[in-house]
Amino acid sequence: MINAFSLSSTIKHGVLLVGALIVLVPFYMMVSYSFKSPGEIERNTGGFFGSQELMVDERCVKLQDPNKDEVIALRPRFPGLDDDGVRKAFMAEVEQDCSMIPVVFNYSKAFSQAPLLRYLLNGVIVTVSIFLIQIVVALPAAFALSKLRFWGRETVFTMVILGLLIPVHAIALPLYIMLAKVELINTYAALIVPWTISVFGIFLMRQFFMTVPDDLIDAARMDGMSEYAIVWRVMLPTAIPALLAFAIFSVVAHWNDYFWPRIVITGDRSLFTPPLGLREFKGDADGSFYGPMMATATVIVTPLIVAFLLAQKRFIEGITLTGMK
Amino acid sequence: MTAALNHQRQTLSAWIMLSPALILMMVILILPILIAFGLSFTDYGLGVKSVDFVGLENYERIFTRSTFKKMFAATVLYVIVVVPFSVGLGLGAALLIQSVRRGREFYKTIYFLPVMASLLAMAIVWEFMLHPTIGVLNETLQGGCDSAIIHGLLTGSWFGADPLASWYGDQCANGFPLWLGDRDYALWTICFIGIWQSFGFNMVLYLAGLTSVPRDLYHAAEMDGASSAWERFRLITWPMLGPTTVFVVTITVIRSFQVFDTVEAIFPDSGGPGKTAYVMMFAIYEKGIKQNLLGTGAAITVIFLMFVIVVTLIQRWFIDRKTHYT
Repeated sequence: MINAFSLSSTIKHGVLLVGALIVLVPFYMMVSYSFKSPGEIERNTGGFFGSQELMVDERCVKLQDPNKDEVIALRPRFPGLDDDGVRKAFMAEVEQDCSMIPVVFNYSKAFSQAPLLRYLLNGVIVTVSIFLIQIVVALPAAFALSKLRFWGRETVFTMVILGLLIPVHAIALPLYIMLAKVELINTYAALIVPWTISVFGIFLMRQFFMTVPDDLIDAARMDGMSEYAIVWRVMLPTAIPALLAFAIFSVVAHWNDYFWPRIVITGDRSLFTPPLGLREFKGDADGSFYGPMMATATVIVTPLIVAFLLAQKRFIEGITLTGMK
Repeated sequence: MTAALNHQRQTLSAWIMLSPALILMMVILILPILIAFGLSFTDYGLGVKSVDFVGLENYERIFTRSTFKKMFAATVLYVIVVVPFSVGLGLGAALLIQSVRRGREFYKTIYFLPVMASLLAMAIVWEFMLHPTIGVLNETLQGGCDSAIIHGLLTGSWFGADPLASWYGDQCANGFPLWLGDRDYALWTICFIGIWQSFGFNMVLYLAGLTSVPRDLYHAAEMDGASSAWERFRLITWPMLGPTTVFVVTITVIRSFQVFDTVEAIFPDSGGPGKTAYVMMFAIYEKGIKQNLLGTGAAITVIFLMFVIVVTLIQRWFIDRKTHYT
């Protein structure tokens, strides 16, 4: 009996571990590639970290190859050599300057080849703005739908339920046309505006507010609070757990969103969000640039993964909120 | 008197509080649908001066041209492959995790990682791993060919089978597929990435569903003679998970219809070898945005919305017998 039990549990763990391995392989490879030199990537050698031998950045060397005038200017630095000798001596120096270990090369290229920091900042600006506006719009609406009595409430709530059915990505094309008509393509507004209304947020907060006792609100009214003050000073503090879950849901979706930024940002690099930056990298990556590309991918993926590992319970709760009935 | 006044005041502030949400809903969700519907009967293009009403021409084109046949084929295949696997693996993982005593959190965390990661980034990593010559997958597979044990086991040649008759033996001898570069494999590979990315999400939903199955039901079933694990699953777990399954399937279907990132990242210009991965969202993007054929793009959008409505109606039909929002 004991044996049979442990056999079945061994098999279960075996299956789960194989699954875990398949899930993890791409992450492992991504980080590993971001450490390695182009040669190691191509030959699949060097283990996880690569050998970290000094490598020469060919592009960096090529950029500094002196032309005739520059060679002439360099003559005093290498006395006693003819022009060809001067060039060779100088190039030897350049090569030394352009050598670095692969991990430094990859990550420094990731940040210098494209304004990756700017992309990350854009990602933060866009996700935070979207979330804040969603809350400002959704909370009062949710309050009205849950705690105020008025004619038409049921109709509005039915609209909210119907709104839940519309995937915003599906109507991207007409939204794009509308934004183009008001000349908002290639602005932060284009990245943010279509997401300002979260029907799901209204629905979620309304369901949460339903559980808040009416007495609390009546007491606040007795104290002479306006309805808006009740929303922000009474309801908001009680709703922190639901808000946090919604924040995670919203931030994850928009940090990783690629489709919408791809459509409304056409070329202006200073507005790129992280996925667009990575995609651009891929567009002009030749073989030797896989390392920096993987470094970029790692940088983009890491913030959410780390946050997730630090607060798994909350994240899983937040992401699966869509599963609430 | 005060009650009536109070009521009036509440009505007023309710509409004030609802107005931003209602206006935005109208402008961002409803108006675009109407615009898409209207434009789908025209040959509109941004910056093009004359707009003509073309009747059903756009739809006719979509239902007759081979490009769009490929679009429907790719989208439908993607959905009918990804949905069962993603839901099935999600359920399987949830049941397995539920049944082990140690390491639950560990497995849950790992399986959930792809849900958190940018699909675009991971698609690029997969593309690289699947690279025909320098990717790890083919290199690993090739490595197995050189090992007598693995080759013997996987081709069955140890048991007297002809190694060339098996897929693995054949590929060992003739070279492994190009995966994303091969029209026979490309869409399947995209499906695989989609399943890899999404099943962890379904797993978590199922785990939540499983916690709501009352323990005593299992004891009762056991008393009634349902002794095997399969019987218990069939009689209790599966029916109790019904609402979860309806929801998981719906959300997976709707998300699968919207697949875009993987296709655009891997096949930016073509939609796959021989357009085999030319899915709907990619078609909308290519026709509408890149080629400025907004009429055609709008018509695809309308068809897409129809799909979503049908799927949701089916879900509603399943659920409305049970849940009511009050």
